[in-house]
Amino acid sequence: MLAALLALAAPLAVATSQSPAGSVAIRADVAWLGDGRTLENATVLVVDGRIADVGADLSVPAGVETIRHRGYLTVGMIALHGYDGASSREFRDDSRPVLPDAKVGLVFDPTSPDFASARGAGITSLLLTPTPEGVAPGLTAVVKSAGRNLLKDEAHLSLVFTANGLVANREPTSLSGAVQMLDRLFEKPSGAIDRARRGGLPCLFEASERTDVLRVLEFAKRRGLGGAIHGVALAGEIADEIKPSKLAVIVPAISVGADRRELRSVVSLAKAGVPFGFGLNSPANNPADLRLGAALCVREGLDPKAAWNGLTSEAARIAGVADRVGRIERGLDADLVLWSGDPLDLGSRIEAVFVDGVRVDGDKR
Amino acid sequence: MKNLVLGLTAVSTLASAGTAFARDDKPEARPWVIWADRVYTGTGTNYEAGMVGTAGSKISIVAPSRGGDEHDSDQVLRCFAVTSGLIDASARIHNGPTSVEQSKEVQASLRVADTLDPFSIEWDRQVRNGVTTVLVNPPDSNVIGGLGVVLKTTGADSIAARTLKSDAVLRGSMGTEPSRGNHPAFRTPTDFYSRRPTTRMGVEWEWRKAFYDAATAARDTSRAFPGSDQLIAALKGDLTVSIQAWATQDIRTAIFLKEEIEREAEFENGLDKPRFFIDAAAEAWKEPQLLVRARVPVVLPPFPVGGRTRDNAFMAWDVAEKLRKEGIPVALSSHGSTEPEECLALQAGYAMQGGLPFENALAAVTSVPARLLGVADRVGTIEVGKDADLCLWNGAPFEPSSRVIAVIVDGVLRYDGREKADAK
Repeated sequence: MLAALLALAAPLAVATSQSPAGSVAIRADVAWLGDGRTLENATVLVVDGRIADVGADLSVPAGVETIRHRGYLTVGMIALHGYDGASSREFRDDSRPVLPDAKVGLVFDPTSPDFASARGAGITSLLLTPTPEGVAPGLTAVVKSAGRNLLKDEAHLSLVFTANGLVANREPTSLSGAVQMLDRLFEKPSGAIDRARRGGLPCLFEASERTDVLRVLEFAKRRGLGGAIHGVALAGEIADEIKPSKLAVIVPAISVGADRRELRSVVSLAKAGVPFGFGLNSPANNPADLRLGAALCVREGLDPKAAWNGLTSEAARIAGVADRVGRIERGLDADLVLWSGDPLDLGSRIEAVFVDGVRVDGDKR
Repeated sequence: MKNLVLGLTAVSTLASAGTAFARDDKPEARPWVIWADRVYTGTGTNYEAGMVGTAGSKISIVAPSRGGDEHDSDQVLRCFAVTSGLIDASARIHNGPTSVEQSKEVQASLRVADTLDPFSIEWDRQVRNGVTTVLVNPPDSNVIGGLGVVLKTTGADSIAARTLKSDAVLRGSMGTEPSRGNHPAFRTPTDFYSRRPTTRMGVEWEWRKAFYDAATAARDTSRAFPGSDQLIAALKGDLTVSIQAWATQDIRTAIFLKEEIEREAEFENGLDKPRFFIDAAAEAWKEPQLLVRARVPVVLPPFPVGGRTRDNAFMAWDVAEKLRKEGIPVALSSHGSTEPEECLALQAGYAMQGGLPFENALAAVTSVPARLLGVADRVGTIEVGKDADLCLWNGAPFEPSSRVIAVIVDGVLRYDGREKADAK
């Protein structure tokens, strides 16, 4: 850990003193740090794509360009479930139900316009996921929305517990058959299955109904697995059952017209203390829906801080990249968004988006 | 979350035409005192006027009324009659096609419990009709579809927590249902539906092959296969086999299979003690001596409109009474029907129209299925120490003019339709 810090600090120091050209400082009226804390009159110093420092009365080194922003500064949002950068059929090889070592991190086109629309909506990282079909369709990956950066090419082992993942003309055709097939995989584990079994790889449990969640909880307990459950809009109604499992929940994409019962389910997750983030299922869904979904939950009673954490720091933890993104903190990637007002107000506009310290959207000077 | 649950209850209350579920935030067992003009315990002892008391999840007292001691309080329920909660030995509250694995004909190791949805509204329907315990089987698309589960129809939001007996039966089917759709109508076979069996013969052959393969695996563990343990347990009689057979040729096929296992040398070393019961045995009345000879109980399907059931079997009002006279244990069932006139309570009424005495009709929906399913130590009769699963009636039980007005399961008032009954 110490070595890592030193390794991080050394190039930063060099960069600050020698190369102000790769540096920028942003001074904003209000900064949301992503961990629930708010800082007024905040300055964030960015050096070589990383956050070199953050503070209320930070002195900016001479020669470093300073952006004065009359509004809010936040870290970029993280969309936790999607198929950006390739056609959705590319996100699963449907030749067989079990292909646990297939990597979606290898299929996406980093120059796809999907990523441009994501970063335009303030999304700087995305969790790409195999299509939830079959039993073990592959490995998830975390990518940046700019810079061609594959942040993590093995984020989760995807395991499918939803009936939607079954096909009628191949084993398994049933939920019981799927459970049996998964048990067989974990009894003779290899590759990604083995890494998950040993605790080195979290799982993404794909589900759709509350009863699927109960099967996930039982299986995860039986096999000692961690990770997150995605796809169950009413998961919050059984938050008390989920809580002891320590599994997180990825809320399925919320859009205009969302059922209030589903929104209140998110509130229940927060009240029970179940960690949660927001899925998007882009590019089918508009990237703007990510923030909209969180805002609609706030309207139903979700604490705004919990909502924002779910879009940033908590999402980063769920994606396994909290050491790189999700908070405004020294040493983390400079993925930043400048807003005209409160980020959870739908009237607030995005004025600039930075990924790895590089402005990728917006024209704010 | 609690408000959400209440909201959901409100919705289902509307859907069920004004019935009110006594589903509190977290309903808990509390002591209940039920005063009834008739207490039908199912043990042979009935009371013209009596009371049943509960403590925790169990029945704590059953007694005749002494008169004058009937104080009203919020722990007192009054009704015309009280019976044990009804038991359906063929309930089929499953998830449809995703509850049965069709990639092979024989899937003896798969548990239907892994596929059930505790949040399905079907459970509420059962509770409203007085059914408190059910056997749920995998759908009969396979020859042997897997393991059925006996569970309560209400309680915790988890199948495991409601389960009375997991792996309660090994379930399979004779007749035409397992082969339906297996014969390619044209073109060449493309997937596992184009396969054996395509006939009754083929279905029976799969049954026999499964048991012979299991007997081989019992002698030589290197020949074990997925499901062989369950099939061996069935041969030993440790796991009851529930076979669906509607028509008489399918009932006799099942019985001949059992007798072959009891007779043939391949099944020595304790593998010759299978316990079968036949589900949906509509035509059991045609050759009842076979059932007597093989000591095989039956579960009857709901009485069919027009007299004909699936597989073109014929079933008349007096089937249950005919079988009773032969000494064959008979349970009645809804066979998973969601038609209001095919609910379990009415089946008992129909059997009474066919001549079955009330006590036997009561047993056919309580104690007989409890014994068939191996849960008679917990449910099926009103006795001190048994589960407090009680069904309260506003008139003579099973009569079309009577209604279930309240249902207690594990000591918790899970359905309270008294206001609805008063309004009638």
